[in-house]
Amino acid sequence: MEKIVLPDIPNFDKIDTYLANGGFSAYRKALTQYPDDIIDQVKKSGLRGRGGAAFSAGLKWSFMPKTTDKPKYLCVNGDESEPGSFKDRQIFEYNPFQLIEGILITCYAIGAKTCYIYIRGEYHKWVKFMEKAVETAYEKGFVGEKMKEVFGGGFFCDIHVHKGAGAYICGEESSLMNSIEGKRPYPRVKPPFPAQNGLWGNPTTINNVETITNVPAIINKGWEWYASIGEPKHPGTILFGVSGHVNKPGVYELPSGTLLTDIIYSYAGGVPGNKKIKCVIPGGSSMPPLRGDQLEGVKMDAESLRMAGSAIGTGGIMVMDEDTDLVKVLARITKFYYHESCGQCTPCREGTGWMLKLLNRILRGEGSTKDVELLVSVANNIEGNTVCALGEAAAWPVKFMVTRFRDEFEARVKESAAREVVNKVHSMRRTVNPISPINI
Amino acid sequence: MEFKFTEENLQKIETVLKKYPEKKAAVMPVLYIAQEQNGYISGEVMKEVARVCEMPEEEVLGVVTFYTMYHQKPIGKYHIQVCTNVSCMLRGAYEIYDKVKDQLRINNGEVTADRQFSLEEVECMGSCGTAPMIAVNEDYYENLDVSSTIKILESLK
Amino acid sequence: MSSFILDGKQIEFKQGQTIIQAAADHGIDIPHFCWHPSLSISGNCRVCLVEVERMPKLVIACSTLAAEGMVVHTNSEKTLAARNAVMEFILINHPLDCPICDEAGECKLQDYAYQHSVGESRFTEEKMHKDKRVELGPHVMFDGERCISCSRCIRFCDEIAGEPQLTFVQRGDRVTIVTYPGKELDNPYSLNVTDICPVGALTNRDFRFKARVWDMSSTKSVCSGCARGCNTDIWVRSNEILRLTPRHNEEVNSYWMCDEGRLNTFKHVNSESRVSGPQIKRDGKLNKSNWDEAYAAAFGELKSYTKDEIAFIGSAASTCEDNYILAKFAKTVIGAKHIDFPRHIKAGDQDNILIREDKTPNALGAELAGIRPAADGLTFHAIMKAVDEGRIKALYVVEEDLVGLNPAYKETLRKLELLIVHASNYNETTELANIIFPAATYAEKNGTWVNFQGRIQRIRPAVTTIEGDRSLDNLAMSRLDKFGTEFDRWGNVKKMDARPVWKIISGLANTQSGKFRYSTSEDVFNELVKSVPDFSGLDYDVIGEKGAALKKFVNTKTV
Repeated sequence: MEKIVLPDIPNFDKIDTYLANGGFSAYRKALTQYPDDIIDQVKKSGLRGRGGAAFSAGLKWSFMPKTTDKPKYLCVNGDESEPGSFKDRQIFEYNPFQLIEGILITCYAIGAKTCYIYIRGEYHKWVKFMEKAVETAYEKGFVGEKMKEVFGGGFFCDIHVHKGAGAYICGEESSLMNSIEGKRPYPRVKPPFPAQNGLWGNPTTINNVETITNVPAIINKGWEWYASIGEPKHPGTILFGVSGHVNKPGVYELPSGTLLTDIIYSYAGGVPGNKKIKCVIPGGSSMPPLRGDQLEGVKMDAESLRMAGSAIGTGGIMVMDEDTDLVKVLARITKFYYHESCGQCTPCREGTGWMLKLLNRILRGEGSTKDVELLVSVANNIEGNTVCALGEAAAWPVKFMVTRFRDEFEARVKESAAREVVNKVHSMRRTVNPISPINI
Repeated sequence: MEFKFTEENLQKIETVLKKYPEKKAAVMPVLYIAQEQNGYISGEVMKEVARVCEMPEEEVLGVVTFYTMYHQKPIGKYHIQVCTNVSCMLRGAYEIYDKVKDQLRINNGEVTADRQFSLEEVECMGSCGTAPMIAVNEDYYENLDVSSTIKILESLK
Repeated sequence: MSSFILDGKQIEFKQGQTIIQAAADHGIDIPHFCWHPSLSISGNCRVCLVEVERMPKLVIACSTLAAEGMVVHTNSEKTLAARNAVMEFILINHPLDCPICDEAGECKLQDYAYQHSVGESRFTEEKMHKDKRVELGPHVMFDGERCISCSRCIRFCDEIAGEPQLTFVQRGDRVTIVTYPGKELDNPYSLNVTDICPVGALTNRDFRFKARVWDMSSTKSVCSGCARGCNTDIWVRSNEILRLTPRHNEEVNSYWMCDEGRLNTFKHVNSESRVSGPQIKRDGKLNKSNWDEAYAAAFGELKSYTKDEIAFIGSAASTCEDNYILAKFAKTVIGAKHIDFPRHIKAGDQDNILIREDKTPNALGAELAGIRPAADGLTFHAIMKAVDEGRIKALYVVEEDLVGLNPAYKETLRKLELLIVHASNYNETTELANIIFPAATYAEKNGTWVNFQGRIQRIRPAVTTIEGDRSLDNLAMSRLDKFGTEFDRWGNVKKMDARPVWKIISGLANTQSGKFRYSTSEDVFNELVKSVPDFSGLDYDVIGEKGAALKKFVNTKTV
């Protein structure tokens, strides 16, 4: 199977290798066509966003106003902070020029003159990789004003790398834009959407790193070719990051629709000690977890996962074996969202802390059956009521982990109820300061 | 104590400012440059950053306190960051975290008396496929276990 | 005009209006904390989530544009569930300290908790702890635990006061509000944040713990601090003014007032230095007199001077009614021609928000009501010069502390043979007076002021004087008025023996002629309207609660 995003070519991160393998030919081809035709091809290719929402990339581009006096922008989202996701760093490291070429094509298609690649701050090394690649591209005249000479045509655009500083919320598109603008990165109330009101109030398109890296192949080989790969409704290859209890964790580029069990057992080498799987989160920690006995026949693409009761998210597959304490796992996940909630809107700001306090209490053996119910209710009260999707990201794991593994949660609270001491503790309940780490 | 950017850093800032249509947008990179020079972001640093980026000090403060990577207090020469998020946790991150605390005799957010080490329990660093991990300053150390972690710490002492 | 359906009612809206704005224009309040009609939309509190038919999720009414044919439900099952959820979230970390919280009684959160909460908390964990009693600035106190992070105060400082002195710091439920270390919330409008804070997080340090809100009466009035004439409410308990708050008037002050006006224009009303009862100087000492005696004495003294030897000083702090009667008396009874009033211009102390250089509330009104010299009369400065030169021997001063205005006048006034003063408080001018009439303050009388825009506005009595008739004067009723007995505070409160200018002058005039027959300031105003064309078409009802533009100032653009 041919790989699109992470081809098995040694030194592909070097400009010479990239050029020797047809680098920037897609951009040259794109220049011979009208921007709208490019958008049309990407639309028809079926390329869907790889950042979590799986929204049609071409459709998103088509929202950009055609006639406007305002400058247009492209943001490339490499904030990659969803637990279980570690794919974009592979692109920064192994295929930076294809990302750059994808940016050129996208900017040409939507009429953007400036692109910001937002990379999470912790990725110091990968920020440097990407900055170096951009610098090289500038030197060669592949980016910036010199593009006009190198490629011909009147179009050129600039690319800047913007380094984050440690905030999951910056992966949310409007928060990312506020972050670039130098504001507190609170998500914006939508509508208006970025295509109308993005960076500095200008029309802006924002795509995930992996999404953009797919674009040159679509232009080069045609949308029909791309649309034929994997599942028709969500075609192409997807970078699946497999982590947790597997023998060979890592990133695997596979056609969409590949069986989840194939990924876990064939590619990632199965579960250490041949243990059974208790739980898999298929798309990064905010997606609904699946039970080990729900995995058979589940295909990895947006529609199939939706049918299976979860979502594709960022394709980060977290595998947990039969000995995993899911109460601990959920508490840890919830601590993450509590830590990352920006605090702007009420349900997420207050709800994430409440859920964490409840889970910590259950973990300490002071929980009751009522607390399990309450946990789900709090999650439901967050869902749908927040400014941005972090609300759902925090609520879904709780809601689905508890409902799908209710036996485990109920056993935990019953166990604690059985101990007499607990009632005493309960009546003198003292909660640890939620800022201090949970002890797991 | 008053904070002034070095000549070299002022040049870097000049380059950074060119990336954005507004100076305020450069606040994050300028803060990084300031932190590199000063070791941490003090009140005086924020004032200077505000001046350079032509924005109110209050807004700089709001930005600094939002992110985890701007330090408002001095950190150790080696800032040890241990990821304990799920993928790392499933592969023994808390054993590593406890061991690091043990070895350095400090808790989360603390600095050793000799200012050599500081410790921070961090959220997912994107090393799930090479878990568990720690980061020392800007460098990732991956595929760790307790003994390899101890070796890393020993090598820094 | 387009319209949409709100809870079954057809609501018209203007293009570009949000659901909450359109509803508000029709007097329908969709619950909200962070939304404020004069601030940018933040959308963070989520209390205004409403159900809109054919929209997949609930939307916030504060940011969702109204659209033709839209069907909105603010009380559907889904809306109520969301509102209850949000209310529960807001309350989990909010302290249950209403009994000791200043905001209680005028707290949006408290009100909504009664109206929109289930009344029982499922939260049994320990609440978040944050800094309390933080002195954000000279006038404002902050309680971090009560704060619900609505960002109204931050937006006010950024957008209205033009000084971004407040910011959020940290994130998640650790978020709190601070000033930059070493700096203070000290912009000239800082106290407005205490009004718009929907909870008790920001409180007025001057008012804190002085009274429960429901124990006070509130009276619609106008600030006396400058020519803007910000609309205010005067809050009174036990006949004592405890605070002023701005009252919405889009034509004048929107929702705001400055700290100076709020804090420094009422304390003299409660002061120990009040003049109570007429005072007549004999043998160099002031003696308390009674009204009739004082009227007769004053009139007799005035009559012993020729019209060239007498001058009258009106005041831009007095009402139009007061100044009208003064002018009428001076001109028709005494025949005086030297009539004017001093200006109080603080050069440079003006901004493009509210504050005006002219520190009086009624300069325009005083002039229009007749306080201006006759053709051959002297202006204020000329009058003072004439006093100094001994040409003017008798001076009648209404509600002006001339020595306070210019210390050099102390020597000038000593040269007078007769000085009659109306004053609410003892001051350096009253020290020199032969007769002092105790003046009712703006907070003790009805009347009108004309602001710099040419807008006439009403002031109303909030504090009662000895002769004040609360029902006749339309005094606002507090709980104590309605339910109190003569044995509780109202019965024993301090009341001043003081009168408005128009009443005193009428008394004075009537010692001889009996022609000044007015029983209320409204009577005076109605006569003023008849005799001064600039006021034509007006009466107290027309002026109402929000004032009215004088004819010649209609359509005059004044900011």
